[in-house]
Amino acid sequence: MFRMRIILVGFGVVGQSLVKLLLMRGKELAEDFKIHPKIVAVVDSGGASLNLKGLNLGRVLAVKKEKGSVAMDEECGVKTVKASKIIEEVEAEVVVEATPTNIVDGEPALTHIKTALKTGKHVVTTNKGPLALAMPALMELAEYNNVLLRFSGCVGGGTPILDFAKKCLQGDKILSFRGILNGTTNYILTKMTYENISFEDALAEAQKAGYAETDPSMDVDGYDSACKLVILANWILGLKTVLKDVKIEGIRKITLKDVRDALDKGCEVKLIASAEEGGNLKVSPQLIPRSHPLCVGGVLNAVTFVSKYAGEETVIGRGAGGIETASAILRDLLAIKQDISLRSTYS
Amino acid sequence: MKLIMKFGGTSVADGERISHVCNIIEKYLKQGNKVVVVVSALAGVTDQLVKACGLAGKGEKEFIKGFIEELKKRHLETCRVAVKDEGVCRLTEKTVEDTLLELENVLVGVSYLREVTPRIKDYILSFGERLSTPIVCGALNSMGVKAEWFTGKDAGIVTDSNFGGARPLMETTTHQVKARLQKVLDENITPVVTGFIAADQNGVITTLGRGGSDCTASILGVALDVDEIWIWTDVDGIMTTDPKIEPKAKVIPQISYMEAMEMAYFGAKMMHPGAIEIVMGKRIPIRVKNTFNPENPGTLISSEQKVESTSIVKAISLIRKAALITVEGAAMFGVPGTAAKIFSLLGEKNINVLMISQSSSEANISFVVPRDTLEDALSILEVKLLGGKIAREIKAEDDICVIALVGAGMVGTPGVAARVFSAVGREKINVRMIAQGSSELNISFVVKEADGERAVKALHKEFGLEK
Ligand SMILES: NC(=O)c1ccc[n+]([C@@H]2O[C@H](COP(=O)([O-])OP(=O)(O)OC[C@H]3O[C@@H](n4cnc5c(N)ncnc54)[C@H](OP(=O)(O)O)[C@@H]3O)[C@@H](O)[C@H]2O)c1
Repeated sequence: MFRMRIILVGFGVVGQSLVKLLLMRGKELAEDFKIHPKIVAVVDSGGASLNLKGLNLGRVLAVKKEKGSVAMDEECGVKTVKASKIIEEVEAEVVVEATPTNIVDGEPALTHIKTALKTGKHVVTTNKGPLALAMPALMELAEYNNVLLRFSGCVGGGTPILDFAKKCLQGDKILSFRGILNGTTNYILTKMTYENISFEDALAEAQKAGYAETDPSMDVDGYDSACKLVILANWILGLKTVLKDVKIEGIRKITLKDVRDALDKGCEVKLIASAEEGGNLKVSPQLIPRSHPLCVGGVLNAVTFVSKYAGEETVIGRGAGGIETASAILRDLLAIKQDISLRSTYS
Repeated sequence: MKLIMKFGGTSVADGERISHVCNIIEKYLKQGNKVVVVVSALAGVTDQLVKACGLAGKGEKEFIKGFIEELKKRHLETCRVAVKDEGVCRLTEKTVEDTLLELENVLVGVSYLREVTPRIKDYILSFGERLSTPIVCGALNSMGVKAEWFTGKDAGIVTDSNFGGARPLMETTTHQVKARLQKVLDENITPVVTGFIAADQNGVITTLGRGGSDCTASILGVALDVDEIWIWTDVDGIMTTDPKIEPKAKVIPQISYMEAMEMAYFGAKMMHPGAIEIVMGKRIPIRVKNTFNPENPGTLISSEQKVESTSIVKAISLIRKAALITVEGAAMFGVPGTAAKIFSLLGEKNINVLMISQSSSEANISFVVPRDTLEDALSILEVKLLGGKIAREIKAEDDICVIALVGAGMVGTPGVAARVFSAVGREKINVRMIAQGSSELNISFVVKEADGERAVKALHKEFGLEK
């Protein structure tokens, strides 16, 4: 049985979903994948719960629900301790980073990830901020310290867009890609197109449905798409690029007339993120023919990869969501397990 | 333009020179350029620190007080001359004194422990730049130029933990340097950064090895994506050959990165090859300029390989104090196998092989090493090769030198080698050995030490370099 000690930083929607998923699938993981993930620390903004033998997951969830912070646990709670201290001092194989996204300076997640890499821990992050701002630097640090940095949950949630691109097109060469990387804006644009309502009304509906935040800027101004674009461009095209390199235009200015004119031409307005071989990273509203596989509706995401030999291929799937993202984390943990086992076989 | 300007030790050797350097900086700032300044230690200080390191490591304590006093005297004097504003001068003096106190404590500590690890040595060597840089910064401030000084570490340069010769983690460095220095530049403040020193990912001080300040300039240049990197030294640029050998030597206006690396490899002291390597991918031009003759355009090192019909050869270097070793009768493993064995043996002893020549018919291998490593080389080779019956005989000549001609124009030009050897032959100079298979950008050969200068002069003339 493969023991994997995990420090979970950030215990909101994603963090809690991960713990629930482990509770639900623990037996199956042990039987089918021979892996026994053990969470030794959970950190939220109030402090940490800590047990080097592995926390009782049900209990952590309950404490969080009842008392607001995992640090309030009477036995294993440590109040006001900083996540970076836990990461530095607690022995573990993997750090899962799921704190809120910050695209100004990437903190506190950037420090969390750097600290983990420096102390020789693998990292799984669902937080796009640090990657969008410093992905080339973080990949370099991971390589230098001989650990893995995984981020499936950052792009496409449960849909393995990153893995698809890397694995399925092995032996081929991806030249460029473009796609819809943000579910919320796609929901809004779909509403505007098919229900004939204004941007403001569609946004309000998205907020009511729980798809959009109270501050919708990350989504509607294109930043979320741009962050994911940066991650894809680094990972798939091998570009060393960051958020500043992306030309970004959101969908606030899209009017009902725009979407109707598009329909008259047999198209729909979509917020498209695209990258070419040499770079030229762009996020902007584009007309997509309704017959094109990229033209998906609702909260779906879709990416079309153009590769040298296989031509165009499109992946479609549900974007983010707590449990979907948690399943992406699990996928990354399994990948790390595989890597560690390989290393121990050959060393 | 956005520029990096690096000033070497001789350019900041004393207060007057620092004032002069600051005038140069101010002039280019006034023209609307943004400048990041990189500063070396005052001339000679790094060598003094190396020596102090050795003494302290042997447990000597008595010298420390005097050594610190000497450094204090020199730096405070420099400070008083260069930093005209009294208030700024006093603050700068305070920084110098505090830094020296730290150095004194470190040396005392080392003398008790009687041990200098590479990590401690890097820490001690970092003091040269930590003393010179605040003075240059203070001098700029007192002239009314807004400046702020940083150690390489604080500027954000991150390296591996290979103390004594650390290599940058370029992406991490770029991310951090952008965050720290670009902001300063945007506020129209001139950052003044210590050359040579950086830190590993845990914040432990590292040094970039020989020519490290040039590397600092290149690293910052790449991280900030500058237009040009200017290396200020005490000569007009890269010369066609050593003017002490051939007074008609000229400054080369432009050479390619590859040519410059080749020249650096063959001993031209103007730039560290590592510093060129760092900028090559980003194609940032480097300009070598003279602090004492700033109007001279100097030498531009860039990606272009300008090949003009008139300049097949761009430069000729003479590497003195070399020794030639010939291993004869390498029959057992064949020549290639024996060659591999020889180079791995020498590699283990850190002996640098300057050039190689093999002849399969006679089963002989000749190669050139620096003369001061000859004894080491011979002793290991004799034990392993003669003892193991891998070779029949090993011969050495210790009165030879290497002549290297560099120039991209040699690649496609037929008959260059013939011209070289007939020019040398006319001087009745005997060529002892010719290198094979090294890069096409150079031809190198071995002559007796006594013939070296005459050969250089003859070739300088043959290829029209004095024109
Ligand atoms: N939700 C999704 O569907 C989804 C999908 C893909 C990616 N993501 C990304 O995943 C990350 C987490 O999302 P989420 O929805 O789970 O966010 P969330 O519900 O807001 O949770 C964030 C968690 O981080 C904790 N936290 C904040 N600052 C911290 C600090 N300095 N140290 C330690 N913990 C800190 C919070 O603590 P408190 O609980 O004490 O406030 C909270 O537990 C975000 O970056 C998000 O963009 C989310």
